[in-house]
Amino acid sequence: MPMKGRFPVRRTLQYLSQGDIVFKSSVKVMTVNYNTAGELSEGARKFVFFNIPQIQYKNPWVQIMLFRNMTPSPFLRFYLENGEQVLVDVEDKTNKEITEHVKKILGKSKEMLEKEEKERKKLSHPATFGPKKYHLRECMCEIEGQVPCPASVPLPKEMRGKYKAAMKNET
Amino acid sequence: MSVPRGAVHAKWIVGKVIGTKMQKTAKVRVTRLVLDPYLLKFFNKRKTYFAHDPLQQCVVGDIVLLRALPERRSKHVKHELAEIVFKVGNVIDPITGKPCAGTRFLENLSDSDSLTEADTTYLSEKLQELKVCSTDK
Repeated sequence: MPMKGRFPVRRTLQYLSQGDIVFKSSVKVMTVNYNTAGELSEGARKFVFFNIPQIQYKNPWVQIMLFRNMTPSPFLRFYLENGEQVLVDVEDKTNKEITEHVKKILGKSKEMLEKEEKERKKLSHPATFGPKKYHLRECMCEIEGQVPCPASVPLPKEMRGKYKAAMKNET
Repeated sequence: MSVPRGAVHAKWIVGKVIGTKMQKTAKVRVTRLVLDPYLLKFFNKRKTYFAHDPLQQCVVGDIVLLRALPERRSKHVKHELAEIVFKVGNVIDPITGKPCAGTRFLENLSDSDSLTEADTTYLSEKLQELKVCSTDK
């Protein structure tokens, strides 16, 4: 039972998380003007079709607006925090070139992304136990070499509280 | 400190003007792409903002850029007009700087330049007919 649509792979979480453009925090709005017909706008059309979902997934707080058939030439425009505007002409470029260019001018670099990843890791300690949402493991019984969970394998008699109490009462 | 900007989360937004019936205020519709959790597809979600427009220069249909005010101007107005990005009916292509409409430039359209030979002969014939009619009257 295949997925509906022309390129339904665009609608998978794996594809969306593969986008590598993470904008710098100063980018607030991104506007794409493109045309629905014409050779020159082909790259822009592919960019909107394939790459915009990835960008929006990685940057949920950036407003993205698409304008069709407003001007003869296709372009991208970014509005930054300090009022600056960046105009990117995408006429006659393939969508790969557009993404590379945008990543170079306004994307966070790989080092910055790795640094942020490390910061996030520091906040959570890997050796603690608790709910799956916040920790890696929930109970000691999950680890190999430790006493298995009594839910799956009954504990030996000597470890059960009932036996220990009986022994104590006896002696 | 970045306190100066914004009693509100959205510092800069781009939207379309949908109403100018209020004095010195423009009603602006802003669309954001929101992911549907089941279809995993992005859809436009609209929200209306009110923006302060002191010179009342917005017309319904303009695309405008709004800037967040440092503090709220009134109960609903938290933004002001920063610039009109595209004026309706008068779009200027930012790459070339020329006026355009849809996918063609308006600049090089003038009455006599785009006429072909057939056009001129047709028009002169029509003019002749008119001359004849007027002398009759």
